[in-house]
Amino acid sequence: MKTKKRFLPWKYALPALALIGVIVVFPILYTGYISLTNMNMYHWNDYHLIGFENFQRALTKVDSGFLSALITTIIWTVLNMLIQVALAYFLALGLNAQGLRLARVYKTLLMFPWAMPAYVSILLWRVGMFNTEFGFLNKLLTAMGLERVNFLSRNIPAFLSCMLLNLWMAMPFMIMMMDSALRSVDRSYYESAKLDGAGFWTQNWYVTIPAIKPVLAPAVIMTAFTTFKQFDIVYLLTMQRGSLSGATLQTVITYAHQNAFVSNNYGLSSAVSIIIFLFIIVFSIFTNKGVEET
Amino acid sequence: MKNRKKVKRAGGVILINLIFPIICFVTLIPIFYAVTLSLEGAGGALSSGLSFIPQEPTLENYRAILVEEPFLLWLKNSAILSVGTMIAAMGTAVTAAYAFSRYRFRARKSILRLLLILNAFPQILSMFAIFRLFRTFHLLNSYLGLIIVYAGSMCIFCIWNMKGYFDTIPVEIEEAAQIDGAGGRQILMRIVLPLARPAMIVTAVMVLIYVWNEYLFSTTFMMSESSYTLAGGLYQLQSNDYSRSWPLFSAASVLVSVPILIVFFCIQKYMVSGLTAGGVKG
Amino acid sequence: MKNRKTALLLCAAMTIGILSGYSETVQAEEPAEISIWHDGDEAIMQVIQEQVNEELSGDSITVNFEKKSGLTDQLKLYGNDAANGPDMYLYAHDSLGTFAEMGMLSPITEVVSEDVYQDMLPMTLEAGQYKGEQYLLPVYYETLLFMYNKDLWEGGIPDTTEGLYEYMTAHTDTEAGTYALVNQHSTAYNVAPVINGFGGYIIDENAAPGLNEEKTKEAIAYNKKFAELEADGDYNTITTLFNEGKAAAIIGGPWLISGIREAGINLGIKSLAEFELPNGSTLMPYSGVQGIGVMKHAAEEKKDALEKVFTALCDPAVGIALAEQSNCAPANQISYEDETVAGNEMIAAMKSTAEVAVPMPNIPEMSVMWGPAESLLAAVNKSGEDLDSAADQYQKAAETAIADMQ
Repeated sequence: MKTKKRFLPWKYALPALALIGVIVVFPILYTGYISLTNMNMYHWNDYHLIGFENFQRALTKVDSGFLSALITTIIWTVLNMLIQVALAYFLALGLNAQGLRLARVYKTLLMFPWAMPAYVSILLWRVGMFNTEFGFLNKLLTAMGLERVNFLSRNIPAFLSCMLLNLWMAMPFMIMMMDSALRSVDRSYYESAKLDGAGFWTQNWYVTIPAIKPVLAPAVIMTAFTTFKQFDIVYLLTMQRGSLSGATLQTVITYAHQNAFVSNNYGLSSAVSIIIFLFIIVFSIFTNKGVEET
Repeated sequence: MKNRKKVKRAGGVILINLIFPIICFVTLIPIFYAVTLSLEGAGGALSSGLSFIPQEPTLENYRAILVEEPFLLWLKNSAILSVGTMIAAMGTAVTAAYAFSRYRFRARKSILRLLLILNAFPQILSMFAIFRLFRTFHLLNSYLGLIIVYAGSMCIFCIWNMKGYFDTIPVEIEEAAQIDGAGGRQILMRIVLPLARPAMIVTAVMVLIYVWNEYLFSTTFMMSESSYTLAGGLYQLQSNDYSRSWPLFSAASVLVSVPILIVFFCIQKYMVSGLTAGGVKG
Repeated sequence: MKNRKTALLLCAAMTIGILSGYSETVQAEEPAEISIWHDGDEAIMQVIQEQVNEELSGDSITVNFEKKSGLTDQLKLYGNDAANGPDMYLYAHDSLGTFAEMGMLSPITEVVSEDVYQDMLPMTLEAGQYKGEQYLLPVYYETLLFMYNKDLWEGGIPDTTEGLYEYMTAHTDTEAGTYALVNQHSTAYNVAPVINGFGGYIIDENAAPGLNEEKTKEAIAYNKKFAELEADGDYNTITTLFNEGKAAAIIGGPWLISGIREAGINLGIKSLAEFELPNGSTLMPYSGVQGIGVMKHAAEEKKDALEKVFTALCDPAVGIALAEQSNCAPANQISYEDETVAGNEMIAAMKSTAEVAVPMPNIPEMSVMWGPAESLLAAVNKSGEDLDSAADQYQKAAETAIADMQ
């Protein structure tokens, strides 16, 4: 009986762990293996192990360009997450106001950006919003009598534009998570808080936030990672071949892409991937505090 | 005193009803843009006017997508893959999340953390390895293969997301059931899952949307046009600047999003937890 | 719990059912079905497919064109895969070197003899050669053209680029959003006419990048003064400007035609080779040849069928159909004897351009050059960076990228 109980959690977790093993762990190990070979376009089918040579070469790519990409990525992740969480919190509070009949309609409408495939949204924004000649934002500026702006040609405006788009695309998920977390809070907590005479801010700070924190922490952590490795937005908005915008904004992942993946050298790019993965692990140690609390 | 509170609350609702339409409108501007484009005749394309009213409204683009492209077939493929993935991902993740939430076993914490770190590996880099593996096991060009890829990719997210919620459900409820003689599985199915309904729904929807909008794996691993998903088919048709017809592209994008929105609207009334809906008081 | 298991089982059974039903249809393929992957215009491929199938109807061979977005990446995975991959592919010739080095292609001489394709234009045949072997059978080719709106352009078209510039300064109002000429001024392919005309180069035949060569830099500086009057240079922007009548002329290729027709524009065409640069040379665009190559496994297993497909492709009727229905310039010289082909203004312009055009380099190193070359153009034209330092910077980036390939 006792041994059975000891194995029970493993039995429950096994199917999931097996699936993860195949789809997540195996590719990482395989990438590790390829990084030790000379697989490139000249040795496409007849590659062999060459040791750590690729890592030596990959490390030379960890130069100032990489460091500034890393800093950009960290600023990008932190800013995005702060704004996302705060904004989603207040929106979800509003949506959960008692007596709000149209909540369902508002929620469905706010989910719309999520329902579109990412590349569709990004293309729509690039051409429909940011375009210099007929993008909506520029039309708005001209209508107000201001000068047109090329949002994507310099780094800081391009960074902000990417962030705006990322928020647009990521907010629905955050709102939905906040909403479901808020709904899980027992109403009776509020009643007693109200009896104690707590105002709006104290109520939020001492009742709501502690109550939703454990539910929300995993979602926030997961989103932080997704934001960290966001590639499509920066790439499609500013650096797609044939429509480079002029900005030289780089995140860790776009840096890796530009420095290793265009070359068709799978050995070298795998080594770069592994090194970046190690950086992400280090990054995750920073977020460990959040993990610890759950 | 009571009245004043009521007035205050009603005022709050009115304020919210003033603010939210504006927020929704601003959020939807890019969507309006897509809808406007999709109603344009083929020649109109990108317009330089500020209005959201197409010059010569026509449903021709929608007709072209629905009739000339295998839209319904793609819709069916998307539905099969989404539902299949949802079952596979949720089926494996729910029990795992429950195990990580309820049982205190060695390596529990380290596995949880490891999963998180593993999830940080950019998926696009995995494609080559999965391709090699699948070719060996003849899983290319099959829905089963894609479901495995999708379910595996979403599994960590599902476990983490649901574990957080399971943690908030008081253990006492289960202990009471245990005394009544219910087994582990019965407890999970009959008590924990209904209580965790919002989390289950949110997680399942997340899986659904991921599959619905994924295009790289679906166009790489499926070989023929007839087995693409909606997002994949749209990507094949219109990914290239040079061959894209904007009105057609926008019409297709709008059509791809509509089923998801219907799902959103429908699930919302089930989003209330058994916990707060009166399952357990106090 | 039981329910879940059965549901899972059912789902698995369902998917396996679908899968097996599906793979049956795949396996039941006739041995003489030839699949050709492409990443081009489906209407054009339809024309080729119909023509070839008609000619092969007696041989029980059918060709089947399948569109694959991101063809280069797809071929890297499926190029050597006899079970799932294609038998042939149709693509622009600049990626030839990459595919050949990866060992996925057979020279076409292994399935078809040289005299079958001797009527092809020499320039197009050359474009399909890599390391002395003929890997691609050219089908049609493209060059950039000067396309203008006859209702908007005032007076004649200048014969020199300086004359063009004068016209542009007089007729462009960036504030109002009306332009004389628009071009993808930061896309390497669209700036190549100037670079080649100045005697510069993006990469030479020895795989040495030339981004900071004096002549290349002169050309980029020259292009910049035009770029300032050519909107933001994004493809979507400039085609819309032209189709809406806000730009009087555009530098583009045959792929723009369908959009221009739908917009009802009164189109005029002039070859870029008819514009003289200040140095006396003319604009010299790249030519892009769309050719068909054969995968190694197919050359071994389906030799006879492939030979017939190639022979059918060499029929001048294919070129004539392409010219008539899609405005493509056929690679086959005999096709030009047809009156409608010879009388097509656009094809005539491309044919005359082809005489000075430079075939895009097809060495593998070219595939990593587009990135640095375009970054340089964008840096100079859009971010206002200093030409010399940017050229050195991206020359170095290009050299690193090439070194990374080994």
